[in-house]
Amino acid sequence: MIALINWLETRTGVKALMHEAFNERVPGGARWRYVWGSTLVFTFVLQMITGFMLWSAYSPSTRTAWESVYHIQHEMFLGNIIRGLHHYAAQGMVVLMAIHLIQVIIDGAYKAPREVNFWLGIVLMMIVLGLSLTGYLLPWDQKGYYATQVTTNIMSATPVVGREVQVLAQGGSDYGHLTLTRFFAMHAGILPTLLVGFLVLHIYVFRRHGLTVHDPKRAPDTTFWPDQVLKDSVACLAVLAVVLLLAMFRAPELSAPADPAVKFDAARPEWYFLFLFRFLKFHAVESLGVTFGAIIVPGIIMGIIAAMPITAKVLGNLGHTLNRAFTWALALGVVVLTLMAFYEDANNVEHQAALTEAHRDGQRAIELSIGPDKIPVEGAVTLLREDPFTHGPRLFAQHCSSCHRFNGHDGRGSLVTEAGKTDEAPSVIAAPTAADLGGFGNRQWMTAIVMDYSNHFAWMKNSTWFRDAQAKHAAGGTVDYINPDSSEMADWTSGNLDDLKSAENADNVRALVEFLAAETGHAGTTYDAALVEKGRDLAIKGSWAGALNGTSCASCHDTIGQDFPTQPDDSTASSYPTLAKYASLAWLKDFIRHPDAARHYGAKNQMVVYSSQKLSDENLDLLVRWLTHNYTPSTVPDYANQLDVLNAALAPSSSVAVEAAPKK
Amino acid sequence: MTSTSPEIPTAGSVDLPISVETPRRSLLVQLITGMLSFLIIAVPSTLSGLFFLDPILRKRKAASDDTADGEVPRKDEAGFIRLDVTKEAVPQDGTPLSVTVNDDLVDAWNMFRDVPVGSIWLRKVGDGPILAFNSICPHLGCSVDYIREENEFYCPCHASAFALDGKKMNDIPPRDLDVLEVSMRTHGQQDANGHEIWVKFQNFQRATSDKIVI
Repeated sequence: MIALINWLETRTGVKALMHEAFNERVPGGARWRYVWGSTLVFTFVLQMITGFMLWSAYSPSTRTAWESVYHIQHEMFLGNIIRGLHHYAAQGMVVLMAIHLIQVIIDGAYKAPREVNFWLGIVLMMIVLGLSLTGYLLPWDQKGYYATQVTTNIMSATPVVGREVQVLAQGGSDYGHLTLTRFFAMHAGILPTLLVGFLVLHIYVFRRHGLTVHDPKRAPDTTFWPDQVLKDSVACLAVLAVVLLLAMFRAPELSAPADPAVKFDAARPEWYFLFLFRFLKFHAVESLGVTFGAIIVPGIIMGIIAAMPITAKVLGNLGHTLNRAFTWALALGVVVLTLMAFYEDANNVEHQAALTEAHRDGQRAIELSIGPDKIPVEGAVTLLREDPFTHGPRLFAQHCSSCHRFNGHDGRGSLVTEAGKTDEAPSVIAAPTAADLGGFGNRQWMTAIVMDYSNHFAWMKNSTWFRDAQAKHAAGGTVDYINPDSSEMADWTSGNLDDLKSAENADNVRALVEFLAAETGHAGTTYDAALVEKGRDLAIKGSWAGALNGTSCASCHDTIGQDFPTQPDDSTASSYPTLAKYASLAWLKDFIRHPDAARHYGAKNQMVVYSSQKLSDENLDLLVRWLTHNYTPSTVPDYANQLDVLNAALAPSSSVAVEAAPKK
Repeated sequence: MTSTSPEIPTAGSVDLPISVETPRRSLLVQLITGMLSFLIIAVPSTLSGLFFLDPILRKRKAASDDTADGEVPRKDEAGFIRLDVTKEAVPQDGTPLSVTVNDDLVDAWNMFRDVPVGSIWLRKVGDGPILAFNSICPHLGCSVDYIREENEFYCPCHASAFALDGKKMNDIPPRDLDVLEVSMRTHGQQDANGHEIWVKFQNFQRATSDKIVI
């Protein structure tokens, strides 16, 4: 062994190198406070190791970036751990860098003769921030896409060369394949190479001047190996443990694939840039423009930091005191602004709703990608564009939620609000003016129609048209309108309620409901075939027990039990709404296109007609498939039911709203 | 080999005799060497640097469109794109309508036919003309939402607010919402009473008070 080392020594001088590397003198003994630089080197090495592995599976293009990151995280062996390590170590590096910088300033380690090394450190810091920035975009998810848009737009605000810098960074006038290839080249090639180069210089110059020791008599001098290395290793192990635990128990999020046509209201930078984000939102800062807030101010701050060695040289101890005060003030400012941003976002209802939607979309994209059909070559973005579960709620919110609600919310999980009575009054929760479609066509829905018709459609009574019609009616005019309290159907349910609720008809009601629900053809529910047949008999022949016997649905709704026609035609329609496959996909599409047709409620129906110019065929299909559950089933948690919140909010207000609230 | 074997001399540790040259010759050699060394690095660096500047140096070639014979093209020469919705779809009461704009998208080596390229807000007051705004916030490029209860446009990123006519309502955005040119047509022909909405969809540079087409 010794012979081998000697052989190597004569040819390479390895002993001298090792001596140089490990036998650095540590005056005053090894200390925990010297570990920070080493932890930074360690996290960088960790980033290299995990980064190279991620590189081996990553594919930078707009149709493969999200897809390959999804594949790494959800398909590959230990992929979630490797991505998690890289994700959290990147954040750890920023935190460690801040600690390292503060310590260097507090200890005066930036002063002569270490000025150059301080500046090398600042260059390294810029490179690390550049790495985080470029890395954030690489998954090409909505979060990274929209947050990085903000960054590149800030670049464009740079005086004189802004636009050119932005175009060069993006690889063109807009985001696309080349944005990813360039960001990836920066992230995995150019910046790490620069970082290694500057790190070598940084360590070389550091060794030249040695540690900044305040109390050399504190303990006997020692050497870097093994005393300080032991402490460094323990510190690095702690860092590793933290990022590993985070990677294991808090997998990094992959939000939905980037789509420039889908708004992303939850856009935020990485948390360590939140202070800058919050700073930009101050009115005083805003009024001075983006260039001032996002470029000039950070530039001045960096300038002051870079000038610290000179300040200390010129002003002596006063300069050092000023530098320390500035550092603490800056750190305090960053912490306060970061906490403010977190606090404000946590209390911002819209932002929380946007986050919920972002999580839902992201999980849905992953769920569809995991599916047996995999991801088409056009990319995962098309999976979501064609997915009713993703776009149904958005279409509902846009087109339906000014009257209808979905489990009390607007389809996207938010309560619908309207302006207060006066300009100054806070906005209030708006009362729905049409049925809540949360359980559209399910058993509860059908039960309510059979047993509780008036109440089920009572939300309509909040509408202006209803009140106007009632007023006109009260004044003695003739007016033909839909009245949930007074119609043949309302009269039938209320008039026969005792018989419907009687013990002898309990099974019959259940069977009728089963039949009606089965006729909708909604996916995701199984029906009892025997019960359905019994229900069909009841609906068509009216084979009830007791006084109800002989009253069938078909005696008015003569098409019940039939298929919904592909070419609906009102020439033979009766004056009653058709129940042919009521609440099915075909029925609902026809209803939305022609709510005023004689086969539905006729001209008295106040529902807005949605022509294909107003709601395209593709969007109608997405909306209706969502409402009829006609999509790849999802295990993604859906928006919380808000009916109770809505009812509670409406309770103390006008009496109409209170009465209108459906029974639970 | 044992530890007693003689040291192997290495070039780095031994002072080799350097031939004495005339100073003039030495200066010339140094000059040429310096220039050559510079040249072998400068040539590939310059070429690579110019390659990296491709996004601002290269002239882009026009892409084809795939309109079938006899079909009214979806996009005209002037860049107007026909929307999926017509005049009737825009609410009468002035409530803005969000519409996705589809177009052929060239992304480096790919052509994506008829894909969403952005979204716009359409607005009409009574029988007045239809207004179209690009929904991208002129501040830093997030998307602007319509807030029903405030009856205004609002950006969830940095709180830019705009009135429904697109005028900015606070100092956050550097300019008003970007108005897009609208042309009402019938079968693609200009017609003030036409029902088809054609919009010249453009994106504009963010974070500047001037409206500059990207």
